[in-house]
Amino acid sequence: MQITERRVGHAIILNLVGELTYANRSAFKGAVERSKQAGCRHLILNMEGVRFLDSSALGMLALLAQSLKASQGVVSVVKPQSYVREIITLANLHRLLPVYNTEQDALAGERLPAVG
Amino acid sequence: MAYHAQQRVDQTSTGTPKPAPVILLVDDDDITRTSLATRLKRLGYRVIEAGDGDAGLAATRTHRPDLIILDWMMPGLDGPSVCEAIRADAELKSSHVVLMTAHDRPDQIAEGLLRGADDFLSKAASKQEVLARVQASLRSSALVREIERTRDDLNASHRLLSAKQQELESELQSAADFVASQLPQPGTPAPGLLMHWAYQPSLALGGDLFQVSQWGTDTLGLYILDASGHGVAAALRAIALMSFLREDNLAKAVGSYDPGAIINEANRRFPLTQEGEYFTLWVGRLHLPSRTLFYAAAGHSGAFVHSVAGTSEWLSAASLPLGFDTETTFETGCTQLQVHDRLYLLSDGIYEVPSPSGELWGRTRLQQRLEANRRLSLEHSIGETMATARQWLGGTVFPDDVALVGLEVLEQVIPVRSEP
Repeated sequence: MQITERRVGHAIILNLVGELTYANRSAFKGAVERSKQAGCRHLILNMEGVRFLDSSALGMLALLAQSLKASQGVVSVVKPQSYVREIITLANLHRLLPVYNTEQDALAGERLPAVG
Repeated sequence: MAYHAQQRVDQTSTGTPKPAPVILLVDDDDITRTSLATRLKRLGYRVIEAGDGDAGLAATRTHRPDLIILDWMMPGLDGPSVCEAIRADAELKSSHVVLMTAHDRPDQIAEGLLRGADDFLSKAASKQEVLARVQASLRSSALVREIERTRDDLNASHRLLSAKQQELESELQSAADFVASQLPQPGTPAPGLLMHWAYQPSLALGGDLFQVSQWGTDTLGLYILDASGHGVAAALRAIALMSFLREDNLAKAVGSYDPGAIINEANRRFPLTQEGEYFTLWVGRLHLPSRTLFYAAAGHSGAFVHSVAGTSEWLSAASLPLGFDTETTFETGCTQLQVHDRLYLLSDGIYEVPSPSGELWGRTRLQQRLEANRRLSLEHSIGETMATARQWLGGTVFPDDVALVGLEVLEQVIPVRSEP
């Protein structure tokens, strides 16, 4: 999994490419931890390049949403591919992590998420 | 041989100097043998002498010398014959052997090498040549012994690892047997109902479990749960949730057998772990006299009713898994089962089976298979569906735990089988 990080205003965008699974969770957790330490309150996960998400990754995302919520932060998901979008929707995860079609929508904190 | 090598290592690791290499000298000519032995002793080697081939072979067995220098011509066993005997002996065959000849004809050298010698030494060799050949031979011999010691160490480690592995596998197997013993007996869980199931964890221990048992009077409780992850940790967590879902515990902890209430309580009691592990769960409560099925699900998509007279349906809706959000409320749904209806509880592992090209089998194909298998008995329908999933996979070991539980509503009431 390749992860690149960008800061845009108060938000940090993590651009994820590859498969988000149990096997590569340490890379993901590392990037998330760096963002939190940088004081990020709005973490945006750009999932356009994520082909696959396993059940363990769902738990990681839920845990991340919980921990940011506890510190008055928020996590958004941008442009998941159809398979990933389906998994997120089936697990109802979009109730915890709003899903947007573009980074601009996520940055603007649109109240009209693309799923749900 | 291993014993010798080990002895050397011990000595060097304690800081004491290495013992002098041992050279066995086999020659029937006393003068030549004594003269060479004296020379070698002067060079600091420990020398053992033997006067013929048989004595040389015996000394090889007793002393395991670092180097054997053999005369070619000897009464009884000659040099090449001793070489052959050494190479034929599993314990001795890696010994380093130098044949000594008065002549060094090419055909003789070829024969000696073919019969097992490592090198040649002319009886007419100068003092310098003898020293150089002995040193070169000892270097080779030391390397061979080093390799042998490493091999012995590796073999010992491998034996130790195998023993540990066996121990671990046997522990895993007894844990797996325990998990299996928690699953319901196929047959008639309640009058008028038939049940069969198939269960195949991806590892010895699975994180998917299910149960079908009486909850109070007139009510059958059923559930299927999936602990995220695989192996021991997932199985232990699954057993913990299974304990929560026991009839007596539900009466105390929830005060009701309502599926929504059960899942709401489980959602509070089983938060996400530090590692982000969680459960998905489907709970059903079948009121036997009216055949009304109440159900609720937390992130679990696995219950399907195949109806003959009515409408087939999946008994689930998008919902969060347990522990994702403590403020979520899970609602109880309800459906009516008809005579001959089949209710299947299943783990996602069965329809998320990938083909060799990576395409998932999918819920639609699974549903079609279950519907087509209506012509078969419940037991055969389950067996055939599992076989079709394996066919799709192109293998027998599923990447995820697979459980498929089937219940059929029978026309006539069958008395509950008494416990043995």
